[in-house]
Amino acid sequence: MGMPNLFRGLSGIPVGLALLLQAGCSDLLTSTPDSGDQLDSPLEGLSATERAAFVRGDEEFARRFSPATGLGPIFNDVSCAACHSADGRGRPGNALSRIGTPDEDMLRSWGGPQIQNRAIPGALAEVVPAGVHVSVRLPPPVFAAGLIEAIPEATIIANADPDDLDGDGISGRVNWVVPPPWVPGTEPGAGPEPRVGRFGRKAQTTSILQQTVEAYLQDMGITTDFLPDENRNPLAGHAHDAADRIGDPEVPAGTVFAVVNYLRLLAPPAPGGPTAARALGEQLFAATGCAACHVPQLQTGPHPIGALAHQGVTLYSDLLLHDMGDALADHRPDGDADGREWRTTPLWGLRMIRAYLNGDAFLLHDGRARTIEEAILLHGGEAQRSRDLFAGLSPADRAALLDFVGSR
Amino acid sequence: MTPRHTASRARQTFLLALVLAATPASRVTAQADSTRPFVRGGVYDKPYQARLLGRTAIGGYAEAHARYERVDGATDEMGFVAKRFNLFTSTRVSDFVRMAAELEFEEGGEEVKLEYAAIDLRIHAALTIRGGMLLSPLGRFNLSHDSPLNEFTDRPLVSTEVLGVALSEPGFGVLGQAAIGRQGRVTWEAYLTNGFHDGLVANSAEGTRIPLGRGNIEDQNASPAVVGRLAWSPRVGMELGISGHHGAWNAFTVEGTPVDERRDLTISVLDGELSVAGIRVSGEAALARIDIPPGLAGTYASRQAGWFLDLARDFGAGLIPTAPGSLFTLKARIDAIDLDTEAVGHHVRQAGLGINFRPTSESVVKLDFVRGWRFDPFNNRSDFARLLASFATYF
Ligand code: HEC
Ligand code: HEC
Repeated sequence: MGMPNLFRGLSGIPVGLALLLQAGCSDLLTSTPDSGDQLDSPLEGLSATERAAFVRGDEEFARRFSPATGLGPIFNDVSCAACHSADGRGRPGNALSRIGTPDEDMLRSWGGPQIQNRAIPGALAEVVPAGVHVSVRLPPPVFAAGLIEAIPEATIIANADPDDLDGDGISGRVNWVVPPPWVPGTEPGAGPEPRVGRFGRKAQTTSILQQTVEAYLQDMGITTDFLPDENRNPLAGHAHDAADRIGDPEVPAGTVFAVVNYLRLLAPPAPGGPTAARALGEQLFAATGCAACHVPQLQTGPHPIGALAHQGVTLYSDLLLHDMGDALADHRPDGDADGREWRTTPLWGLRMIRAYLNGDAFLLHDGRARTIEEAILLHGGEAQRSRDLFAGLSPADRAALLDFVGSR
Repeated sequence: MTPRHTASRARQTFLLALVLAATPASRVTAQADSTRPFVRGGVYDKPYQARLLGRTAIGGYAEAHARYERVDGATDEMGFVAKRFNLFTSTRVSDFVRMAAELEFEEGGEEVKLEYAAIDLRIHAALTIRGGMLLSPLGRFNLSHDSPLNEFTDRPLVSTEVLGVALSEPGFGVLGQAAIGRQGRVTWEAYLTNGFHDGLVANSAEGTRIPLGRGNIEDQNASPAVVGRLAWSPRVGMELGISGHHGAWNAFTVEGTPVDERRDLTISVLDGELSVAGIRVSGEAALARIDIPPGLAGTYASRQAGWFLDLARDFGAGLIPTAPGSLFTLKARIDAIDLDTEAVGHHVRQAGLGINFRPTSESVVKLDFVRGWRFDPFNNRSDFARLLASFATYF
């Protein structure tokens, strides 16, 4: 004998209910945000293999480390995503401090150049020593790193004018950097010769891979096949060496490549739509000289990834170094860049800046400016003339220019 | 000693004092414990025990889920989970000694755990001595969390993410009860346990996660934790409980050698249940304070909080002619946790609705819809929704 049947003749009800729910509840069941409003969307036109690489790297970028998985001994934060909010910029609370002093040995004995202000139990965090120059670096956005990487060196060099031969007061300089020998020769930006630096606030890094490997080691205390030795606090004493119990390297090369490919395949967010005010703003952007440094578009060259080859990159940067004056100087050289020079910050994505910072905005290398206008008014040095032109605009023109910049 | 240490020690003393004060002050009767289970749905209130034929009864419960989960417009999960298969045994060894155990197989056997195995020596209604692997009396939900009893498929967030239900610890202590008036009573439980271990930080990538410090099977720091609950029930169906857990979570001394500063974890929980106009209301609120090593400040939380509120209303009793004991239940829940009260984000909120059908009181089919919002430490929001169907039964 079987079990008695509970709902004789009523078996259609659950199926009907399920269908009803499916039909009426697309919003109840969450909806997909517009990919143009996101900073972590993949480029369009990727192959399935490229998308698989993207998804894998996305997971690694978000992966948070704990002491049990290798975090530390000293570190700044626990994951890439913990500093780069939704692949955008960070907050001052996530900023890094790099210290500078003419005496290199002294610098190292203090745990410089980068100060790791956190430590796992048993290790000792570093502190900024007195009497040094401190360069505070707000995490910049990481989207579209692949497009930046795919711009040929010649294109960047073509905009450089180190001796200001054209006499416009603006002299963009390349930060020539010798890549570290552990960057595989197959990576763009590798090799024994000096290469064009393009990543970092002073364009002091030539490849996505170097940026990633150093972020793992310096920012999170995660050793990789490329840099397998832990970063330690030299002032902590040897007893602290035992704090990190995880064998090195803590992350294999495959994971690093996954993250590198993820960054490489990230798309930029879409700019806002055209309006009359923005058209005026765009003209003023050129007329006040912003576009001399914030070059609206650069072109990528040939690339094995179709989505990166021969693309217009509307980043609003020449990726060159400019003397920005005393107020912005950190007095701390980085590679070829001196203490007054900064890489022109790309302006794309400013439209979404507040969306991923809890309604706040933090601009410039250390996040000190809270509005676009404030950031512009802090420009000095080579940008002084442009800044003054901006300051002299009528309120309506100013607003149009700000609207244009804020809609990129 | 830091002020925080002093404060938490004071709270611990206060808790113990409450438990002790309750004993002589109330009229202790045997009647109170013979008519009502100590904890409704708790260790000694399960259906299988009614079948006690010989000395040992065996029973348990099983639970299966069908899950459809969406996150930001994409299907995150559409699958099936053999969630739990738990075996109970209960033995009345003598008039004074009884023993119960629960063995849990979770997620298709991926995790096997001795959730409960404790011996009771009953001296008096007001005094039973309990020792073994016991369920920490930290909120009522931890003491009574069997899936056939829960109205929702998933446990509340505060239970799974902040308190770590089911929290069972090796420990030793006392429980008892006293009647107050004709219907009322007070129950108490207080134990010394091994407490939590440093996994709550060391094994957790998501910031402080108290559940990852569970399972301190072997004492690490020669410093027991104390956990206790005091509950007042003016009548059946209505109860108010306060509970707390306090102890060091790090191995600050190893074989007598001090190797670190002592770091404490203090959890306070308020729980309540009530029945008004046929609606059962139950809820819990918890606050956790964790002493975090200074080097981890800012990435690991030193304060967490959470709460939930469940509403349930039965209807359609015996509506199905073939199952006269059957019952439907409409249910609703709101639920929130803050995994770092000092960070802008790092919190989760959700709301659930659904309907249950119980062919008999021992088995339940649940249909849940849950909609929630998760905020990362930057306060970036991600939306999720779940449609869950689950089946749970005692056996
Ligand atoms: C502690 C915070 C922090 C963490 C963790 C962190 N970053 Fe960064 N990141 C920064 C800062 C600050 C900069 C700018 C550095 C500079 O200018 O010297 C930066 C720069 C970058 C850049 C260059 C962007 C540009 O346009 O210049 C990339 C790419 C990047 N990070 C990727 C990563 C990856 C991948 C990880 C994880 C492996 C990571 N970051 C982890 C703070 C962080
Ligand atoms: C001489 C080159 C130069 C000129 C001209 C120039 N900028 Fe900049 N701009 C920079 C550099 C370099 C930075 C980064 C400075 C820093 O971080 O301290 C920057 C930063 C910015 C930022 C902050 C971006 C961010 O995300 O933090 C904004 C906005 C900006 N510029 C807008 C403008 C506008 C608008 C103009 C024209 C009125 C202009 N700039 C003119 C070089 C220039």
